[in-house]
Amino acid sequence: MYSPFFEIKNSTFFASDRNKVINFNLKIDRPGEIICLLGPSGVGKTTILRSIAGLQKIEKGEISLKGKIISSKNIHVEPELRNIALSFQDNSLFPHYNVIDNINFGSNRNSSSKFKLSTKELIDILHLNKLEKKFPHQISAGEAQRVSLARSLISKPNLLLIDEPFSNIDQSLKGELQSNIKKLLKKFEITTIMVTHDSYEAFYMGDKCGIILDQKLEQYNTPYNIYHYPNSIKIIKFLNRGVLVNAKVIDDETLENKDLGKIKGVLINKFSKGSNVQLLLQPDDLKHDDKSDLKLEVIDRKFRGTEFIYLVKTKNNDLIPISVDSHHGHYHEIKEKFGIKKPIYIDHLVCF
Amino acid sequence: MKKINYWFLSSLIISLVIIFPILTVFISFFSQTSSYLELLSNTFLSLYITHSLIILLGVLSLTFIFGVFSAYFVSFYDFPGVNFLKWSLILSFAVPPYIYAYSLTAFFENYGTLFTILSFIFGEGEYNKYIPKFDGIVGCILSMSFSLFGYVYVLTRATFFYQSNNLIEVSKNLGLSVQESFFKVILPSARPAIVAGLALVAMECLADFGTVSFFSVQTLTTAIYNSWLAFDDLHTANQLSFILLLIILAVFFIENYSRGAARYHLNSQGFRKIPKIKLNYKLGLIICFLCFALFFLSFIFPTAQMIYWTIKFPKYFYDIDILSLNFNTLLLVIISSMFLIFFALLTNIGNRISKNKILDYMSFFSISGYALPGIILGVAFITFFAWIGDTLNYLFGLTNIKGIFIGSIFGLVLAYFIRFYSLAFNGIKSNYIKINQSIDETSLLLGFSKTKIFTKIHMPYLRNSFFLITILISLEIIKELPMTLILRPFNFETFATQAYIYASQDLLEAASLPSLFLIFWSVVMIFFTSKYILLEK
Repeated sequence: MYSPFFEIKNSTFFASDRNKVINFNLKIDRPGEIICLLGPSGVGKTTILRSIAGLQKIEKGEISLKGKIISSKNIHVEPELRNIALSFQDNSLFPHYNVIDNINFGSNRNSSSKFKLSTKELIDILHLNKLEKKFPHQISAGEAQRVSLARSLISKPNLLLIDEPFSNIDQSLKGELQSNIKKLLKKFEITTIMVTHDSYEAFYMGDKCGIILDQKLEQYNTPYNIYHYPNSIKIIKFLNRGVLVNAKVIDDETLENKDLGKIKGVLINKFSKGSNVQLLLQPDDLKHDDKSDLKLEVIDRKFRGTEFIYLVKTKNNDLIPISVDSHHGHYHEIKEKFGIKKPIYIDHLVCF
Repeated sequence: MKKINYWFLSSLIISLVIIFPILTVFISFFSQTSSYLELLSNTFLSLYITHSLIILLGVLSLTFIFGVFSAYFVSFYDFPGVNFLKWSLILSFAVPPYIYAYSLTAFFENYGTLFTILSFIFGEGEYNKYIPKFDGIVGCILSMSFSLFGYVYVLTRATFFYQSNNLIEVSKNLGLSVQESFFKVILPSARPAIVAGLALVAMECLADFGTVSFFSVQTLTTAIYNSWLAFDDLHTANQLSFILLLIILAVFFIENYSRGAARYHLNSQGFRKIPKIKLNYKLGLIICFLCFALFFLSFIFPTAQMIYWTIKFPKYFYDIDILSLNFNTLLLVIISSMFLIFFALLTNIGNRISKNKILDYMSFFSISGYALPGIILGVAFITFFAWIGDTLNYLFGLTNIKGIFIGSIFGLVLAYFIRFYSLAFNGIKSNYIKINQSIDETSLLLGFSKTKIFTKIHMPYLRNSFFLITILISLEIIKELPMTLILRPFNFETFATQAYIYASQDLLEAASLPSLFLIFWSVVMIFFTSKYILLEK
């Protein structure tokens, strides 16, 4: 009989009244996948990780790993017997051992595992070379997080849980670490569930992302699908990458907006003709065209390196973000008029 | 420039005042030997040291077990009554070892409380031969352990408290069993705190006079007292003090060495409560019972015994002038606190304003008094002022100098000042350094004068620490015995000395009333400071 590598079924995670997640379902089919759980702070992400690790019991539902139930109302495998490593968000290093000894704490576990990962290798990958002999109080919070991650990795877990691993790490190192760790996890096929509140990080690291909002797993899908096919207004608001504008359904391939005119594309959800809907507009949906006669006023301009994001205002006071290639010859200053290419065509029209 | 000199001068004087007892002990040791010391070194000295060390070892072992395990369970686990127990265990601070000793004896002695209880339940009988007697060295060890384990408990708990994660959870996640995580992770991580707690216990234990003297165990402290009182030999008393100081110094060094590079706690990202592990019902009840037993034995038992005797022998209500005991204690507490806070504040301001390295260095010296056993300080005090008095009398014919310092309230307060100066100084300092230099600078930029900064910003901020320090000093003074005994004016008694005098006359039933008052006031003080002691503020 088929059973997924890891599965959470109808579980409720409970930390406090405010901090709980109900009826949670999540499946990881193959080992080696990286799952990112996204959500605002305080939504209960850490509680989920703690429950998977066995530090907290669950009242409802079940959690199984490799076809074996590890948590349910009646079954609770002790955390030390699960071989699930949790890299805590806060400093969890043993204060009386130096960095290298802290890391080695994980090394004796699971020596039969098929992958061989040396402490030395890990230390290089995580840039911990100069810290080996230091004590936890002598290193920074970001460094402590990396040591904690190394300690979890060295234990060769069946499932690795990471709680906000890069929250204290500076921007320049973050990118490199994300890519190194992703490579490492993929190379050794370490199944990972990572918690973060940074959607860029989740989209980069995760094979799949789960977004938790208002005590529920709102959407669980690939990053591409979450970005392009968000399944609720809540997700759009949370990701904060696009805006919703009012539109009227003309037919299955056409919408009409008062200010923008006709918009062509494929409607993802079916609506009857003539109904009023809200259309998602993301920065890459509308195209800039200086020659167009559809002009809107520039409200703000963000320089993102590879692109500019212009925020333009319609007569209806909708603020629409529009991405423009960074090499585009000239700036449009605030209060200037900004042309939008017509006819408007958007691959998939996401409406609610 | 002149300003700095003033501060410097005041700091210098305070440092000198505080350091003179130690100097006196040193000078005494290296001057000629009297015959009494030779006598001692031939026969009794090694016995005194052996007794002191046996008691020390016993007390350290027991306080280690009591303190570490109770701190471990209340910090990491959730079980019935844990919130009450974590608080109630610090009540042991209210019962000084010598009062514990009185209770122990009162309960187990022939025809004592236990005998009464047994007779009441089973009728008249020959119970005395079956009732164990806890006296002598065993009695000392038990009394001190139950009243001193709080130091280990509080400091160990502080270490656990400041972890940002539950260390048991972390080690379980790494595959360690509960036993493994206790021995490999929990115990070693708390080592500096445990050693620091044990060092405090060791110093209290070595400095103890009331308990050993009550149980007639000959130790260094009783020898110091006896050579002063019985033989009127201050010189020998000081030489014995020197030996005791060496042992205490050794404790200091061991503590410092053991701390090494490890630290008390780390918590880089602000404080949050560590999640507790819920114990299953059965185990929870067992742990609850054990912790409650510790609370019962350390606090309820001695207090109940004292209440029982106070009620059983009401005649001492009339015999003992309890009002004047209260008044005397209050007087000492108020005058001493005022002096201590005033001068400690002065030195702290001096250090802050002048930023002088030498001042820092000197204030380090001046906080050594706390490590000095009261009995040594008492004897050194007398030695020093007797010498000053005699010298002034010889040179200028001033006859009454001795009387100003020895056997006077002023002298007693001065001695308290020396002993507890570090408490006041560090208490203010630890709060004062939290007022950032940039706050001063901001205020200056906002047009505040230096005096105004002090009155409008520093003082309101420090007010809380004045309160806390006053209470801590009061707690110490109320319980202080040997120094008060040696230096108090004639017929001037505190709860501690009154209880001691009755107890040493074998009038334990009379000692119970002052003891009870002592416990009562201490509990009140602890009640006010418990939030600080338990780090919840």
